[in-house]
Amino acid sequence: MTWSRATETRAAAILARYPEKRSAVMPLLYLAMAEEGGDLTEDGMRRVAELTGLSAAQVQAVASFYTMYKRDGVGRYLVSVCTSISCMLCGGDEVLDAVADETGVPDGETGEDGLFSVEHVECIGACGGAPAVQVNYELVEGVTPEQARSLCRWLAEQRPETVVGDDLQERFGGQRSFDWGPEEAEGATGPVPAFGPLGTTGERS
Amino acid sequence: MPSQPDLVTFTVDGKEAQVPAGTLLIEAVKAAGVHIPHFCYHPRMKPVGMCRMCLVQVEGPRGMMLGTSCTMPVTEGMVVHTDTDTVAKAQEGVLEFLLLNHPLDCPVCDRGGECPLQDQTMAAGPGESRFVEEKRHYPKPIPISDLVLLDRERCILCARCTRFSDEISGDPLIEFKDRGNATQVNTFPDEPFASYFSGNTVQICPVGALTATPYRFRARPWDLEAVESTCPHCSVGCRISVQASRNEALRFLGVDNGPVNQGWLCDKGRFGFEFLNSGDRLDTPLVRDEDGDLVEASWAEALDRAAAGLSAAAAEGPGRLAGLGGARSTNEEAYAFGRFVRETLGSNHLDAQLGDGLDPRVLAGITPRAAIDDLERARTVLVWAPDLKEELPVLYLRVRRAATELGANLVVVHPRATGLDPVATHTLRYRPGAGTEMLRRLADGSGDLAAVRAALDEGPVVAIIGRPGLGDDPRLAEAVMAFAAGLPDAAVLPVTRRSNVYGAADMGLAPTLLPGRVANDAPGRDAAGILEGLASGDLGGLVLLGSDPATDYVEPQQAAAALDAAGFTVAIDLFLTPSAAKADVVLPALGFAETEGTVTNLEGRVQKVNRLLPGPGSARPAHEILEDLARRMGGSIGAASAEALAAEIAGTAPAYAGITWEALSWGAGREGIVAPGPEGSQPLAVAPEDHAPPPAARDLVLHQARVLYDRGTLTQAGPSLAKLAKEPAAYVHPEDATRFGIKAGAAVRLTGSGGSAELPVVLDPSLVAGTVYVPLHLGAALGAGLEISMEAVT
Repeated sequence: MTWSRATETRAAAILARYPEKRSAVMPLLYLAMAEEGGDLTEDGMRRVAELTGLSAAQVQAVASFYTMYKRDGVGRYLVSVCTSISCMLCGGDEVLDAVADETGVPDGETGEDGLFSVEHVECIGACGGAPAVQVNYELVEGVTPEQARSLCRWLAEQRPETVVGDDLQERFGGQRSFDWGPEEAEGATGPVPAFGPLGTTGERS
Repeated sequence: MPSQPDLVTFTVDGKEAQVPAGTLLIEAVKAAGVHIPHFCYHPRMKPVGMCRMCLVQVEGPRGMMLGTSCTMPVTEGMVVHTDTDTVAKAQEGVLEFLLLNHPLDCPVCDRGGECPLQDQTMAAGPGESRFVEEKRHYPKPIPISDLVLLDRERCILCARCTRFSDEISGDPLIEFKDRGNATQVNTFPDEPFASYFSGNTVQICPVGALTATPYRFRARPWDLEAVESTCPHCSVGCRISVQASRNEALRFLGVDNGPVNQGWLCDKGRFGFEFLNSGDRLDTPLVRDEDGDLVEASWAEALDRAAAGLSAAAAEGPGRLAGLGGARSTNEEAYAFGRFVRETLGSNHLDAQLGDGLDPRVLAGITPRAAIDDLERARTVLVWAPDLKEELPVLYLRVRRAATELGANLVVVHPRATGLDPVATHTLRYRPGAGTEMLRRLADGSGDLAAVRAALDEGPVVAIIGRPGLGDDPRLAEAVMAFAAGLPDAAVLPVTRRSNVYGAADMGLAPTLLPGRVANDAPGRDAAGILEGLASGDLGGLVLLGSDPATDYVEPQQAAAALDAAGFTVAIDLFLTPSAAKADVVLPALGFAETEGTVTNLEGRVQKVNRLLPGPGSARPAHEILEDLARRMGGSIGAASAEALAAEIAGTAPAYAGITWEALSWGAGREGIVAPGPEGSQPLAVAPEDHAPPPAARDLVLHQARVLYDRGTLTQAGPSLAKLAKEPAAYVHPEDATRFGIKAGAAVRLTGSGGSAELPVVLDPSLVAGTVYVPLHLGAALGAGLEISMEAVT
């Protein structure tokens, strides 16, 4: 099988970045997910194998190690709540419970309407702003259970095309690890990380 | 003791020892006589340090350090301890963890009794475990291919199987999945572990996680009897251990013969023992009765009939009889067959090949001849030969190792993609019939071939040369050899597949040869000439020794017609093959592992084959049958025993002088002895000549080549391999498909020189347009002619 023309063009551009084709396996897996609406399918892994010269088994070996490669379907908005040590101490578990309760989607599952997937994750590098939450890998820090409920309600009502971390932080965040970085102009358009070559970035609306 | 420059001195458990610099500690310590338990380490693969079992203590500036001896190279003055309490405690701990999820089902596990985990737990493990938690459970076993089963809960994640399939065989169809707490070895869904080398992973698995379907639950290791022998399936001559219980062959294991197979086997060799136990084996002589049917007979009656028939034909005049076969026999049987045909039948019409091989003088006498192990030192490897992965699989492994691990340039010339292409530096494709032109362009080396020519000019060069397919003229192979012999520091390995065809040539089973690599100045007819003679009546009779021309001759239908026309035919065989079924007398012979003798592989290495099984019914060794026939015809060929024949060969065949059973059975000789032997000489020195056939323009040419699993008698006689043969198909270049208006999956009718067949189409862009590829011996018999016509079937 082959992907859509736009995706194949992106795949070629990603492959061209690496001296060894097999090095492109991880971005290509994201591309495969983006092509299939966030889900990494067997066909997607086969296509990555063809493109990288790896065997499908080797591609699957990579894909099955990283939890960010979703092989059981994923919703329009993937809400990831950190429950590693810093976030746990600052109430990450309560945030997770609030998200699960507000969305009606238990931890590790995807809602029947396909709007939300909820998961707990290990450290996402935001200990200074614990507890931290990601929506489609866009970070928002210092989130209380109440703010998390608001966040979920806002997502369900507004259904934004693009999710931008800075925007979420302004609306629903609290204490941040760092707040002197450049302003974020782009965000994620789907449940894979926002990355130009993947075509998963959108302008801040 | 003064150190040599490339040696380092180290101390293990108080003993001083010397090893070459760079040796891994685990090997160095072994050389010093100390065994270190291990699971993941394998001497033929790169170390990974996964299992942690090989921990030793090394003295360092900060005291004693525990480390894995499989990943640590020895350094000068290193002081190593393997017998301290700390090492014992560490190994105990490792075993306790390895057994965390490992079931204690040893009594029902195939590995029980020969299991490294079981043995090392008994030797170095804790008496009991502190872990009381429930062990991991998986559905078991899951078939990961037609031949291999996987019990995941037994796996200790040593990565031997995954490393083998990635590093050694190059088909990484198994991998670790769900790495982390739930790591398991598995295949991709719907992509089974269909490797030609999958059985090796079963052999090197240090637990019972991988088991082979042909052996599972068939025996306990302590019930097995074993002899070392040489695999009978192709001319590579891998060293194997034949293992049997209750007089039934149950498995073959690879034995590490460094210069040849380095421990590996292909699955055809490993699981190809089943034919020995087949119920279709001939177990009693057959003679043709008055109604023309083959009926069972006593040996005395059958031998009388055979001798009378052959004598009558011989009485018609000299050279009225002929012999075909011997390429699957031992050297001793082949030698006896040569004496029988030449002396008793009084004929020089003798051929072990069936028109599908190379000039026997080249097989026996090419100079300079390469050894397989020259691949370890080659800078450049040229392969213009059959697809090695399909026909000589373990030679493929050796070439692959040269191209990957050892960094040699690899140039592959073939009519279509081969198994070696993924690791080749350059691949060249040509249409069968246009090989001469390809060779001229390669030798010229201009334009787009300049880089290829430059690679070939880097010696030492090992050139592996044969006929890529039936459509390639043997004279082309010789012309390529002549070209290759002129490359820098070059040696040539002429390759053809049938198992002991090199031994048969060395024993004089060719019209142009006498035993011991001596030219025959009065050559008789070759296979083509013999079959013509039988058809025309110029020849009155034929003796077949393990040869099936009605199936294997390049034009099977011509051969079948010739056998029908033959005056009198005696077939000595293991099975009632289509050719044997046409014989007047069929005599059942003992086969592999049922007789003792020697065989010669494609590099001229003579190795021993040994006897373990009694064989079926009243089947007898071929040399005894021939001796009895000779005696009935008023002579003797001195073939009272195989050992006597071996002594005669070592005494009279120049190239085999000094190669005795004694020399091959003990010490270094177990690796085999490359002829000319220790006292031997090679009277025949063939410098190949460039008398390449002129190119011929044809619209559509046929490329036919063998695949590993075909409909051959020995493959089909065992249930495990029989089902692996694929359905025949026509591989068509997409341009030709468009030209002929054919879609993939549609059918075409192909008509060749010897037959016609309707086949489904597979598109194959690796062909040169104007070529159609049909795998040989899958059921479509088209004849050997190059030209072919194709029409779409609607």
